[in-house]
Amino acid sequence: MGVSVALPMSASISTPAVQILDRDAALMLRVRDGDTAAFAQLLDRHRNPLVGFMYRMVQDQGVAEELAQEVFLRVYRSRSTYEPTAKFATWMFRMATNLALNWLRDHKSEKGCESLDEAIVEGVGRQVPDRAPNTEERMVAESQLHEVRRAVEMLPEKQRAAVLMHKYHELEYSQIARTLDCSESAVKSLLFRAYERLRNRLAHLDGNRQV
Amino acid sequence: MNTARCPLQSGDEGAILLSYLDRRLDPDSMDALDRHLVACPDCARVVDAQRTVWKALDQWEPLAVSADFDDRVMARIAAEKPSWWRRAVTLPSPWWKPAMPLAAACVALVAVTVWRGPAPRENPLPTMDSAEAQQVEDALTDVDMLRQLGVTL
Repeated sequence: MGVSVALPMSASISTPAVQILDRDAALMLRVRDGDTAAFAQLLDRHRNPLVGFMYRMVQDQGVAEELAQEVFLRVYRSRSTYEPTAKFATWMFRMATNLALNWLRDHKSEKGCESLDEAIVEGVGRQVPDRAPNTEERMVAESQLHEVRRAVEMLPEKQRAAVLMHKYHELEYSQIARTLDCSESAVKSLLFRAYERLRNRLAHLDGNRQV
Repeated sequence: MNTARCPLQSGDEGAILLSYLDRRLDPDSMDALDRHLVACPDCARVVDAQRTVWKALDQWEPLAVSADFDDRVMARIAAEKPSWWRRAVTLPSPWWKPAMPLAAACVALVAVTVWRGPAPRENPLPTMDSAEAQQVEDALTDVDMLRQLGVTL
C-alpha cells in the first residue's frame, strides 16, 4: 500500500447497448397502443434474464418463475401509463428487485440449508462441459458451486441484488442506483463491499490464495 | 478519481478497480491503473482475487425456464381482462364521454330536488273562519246604517 500513481481525474465509463434499450422502450410504447405482439417480443427478450436474476436472488426455480411472471404482469398493467423516462431494463429490474426483496423478507425464516442443497443438484445438472467429467471433477465442481451459491446467499439482500445486476446483467452503476433507489456513489461502495466479502469467501478457489 | 492516492486507500474509490476489471474505463485510466498495479501489490492482489471471484460466479448458470412460462404469463393476463361492462365504462367514446360531467350534474340536481321536496310557503296568511267573517260584515253594515241616519261616530 501507499504507492502513489498518476491517474486521470475523471475515469469515464462507456455506455454500451443503447440501441437495445431504445428498442425495448419502442416495444413498450407499442404495447401501450394495444399491440399484443410487441408484448410477446418483450417477453421473449427478457424472460431468461429476468428468471435468471430471480433464481439467483431467491435460489428456487419455481419461486423465481412465479416472481418473474408477476413482473411481466405488472409491466403489462402499467402499459397505459408507461413513459420512456427511464431505460426499460432499469424499470423492469426495479420492479423485479422490489418483488425479490419482499419475498426474501417474507420467507426469511423458511430459507435454510435444505433448499440450498436441493438447488445445488439442479444447478450442477445444468452445467454442460466439453467432455463428460469424471467423478472427482464432478464432485469438485459441485463443491465449488455450493460455495459460490452459499457465498452469494450470505450477502445482505441489497448487496446481493447489486452484485447480480452488475455481474450477470451488466447494468451500469447509474441503472443499479435507480433500481435500488440510492446514489451512484452508494452503489459503488455497496458493490465494493459485496465483492470484498465474496473475495474473502471465494478467493481460495483459485490455488488457496488469501486476500 | 484521485490522482495521488492508491484506489484502495480512499472509500468507494476502490470501486474503480471494478470498472477497470469490467474494462469500462477510458483508455487513459486503464493505462494508469495498469502501471499502478505493477507497483502496488495490494491492488494487484485485489484485482487477482476479483478475477477469481468472477470466474467462480461464472460457474453458476441459471436453470432453463419452463417451456410453458409464456403461456402462464398470457393466461394470467387474460384472467385479468375486465368484464364487458367495465370495458364499456373505461373505453374512450368521443360522443358521450364529454357529456358525462353534465349528466352527472343533472342527476345530482334532480336528486337534491327530490330529496328536499316542495319548499314550505313562507309567512302564510292568517286564516279566518266563516263566523268571524260574518261578524265583521255585520259590523260594517251597522256602521253604514248609522252614517245614513246622521249619527256621527
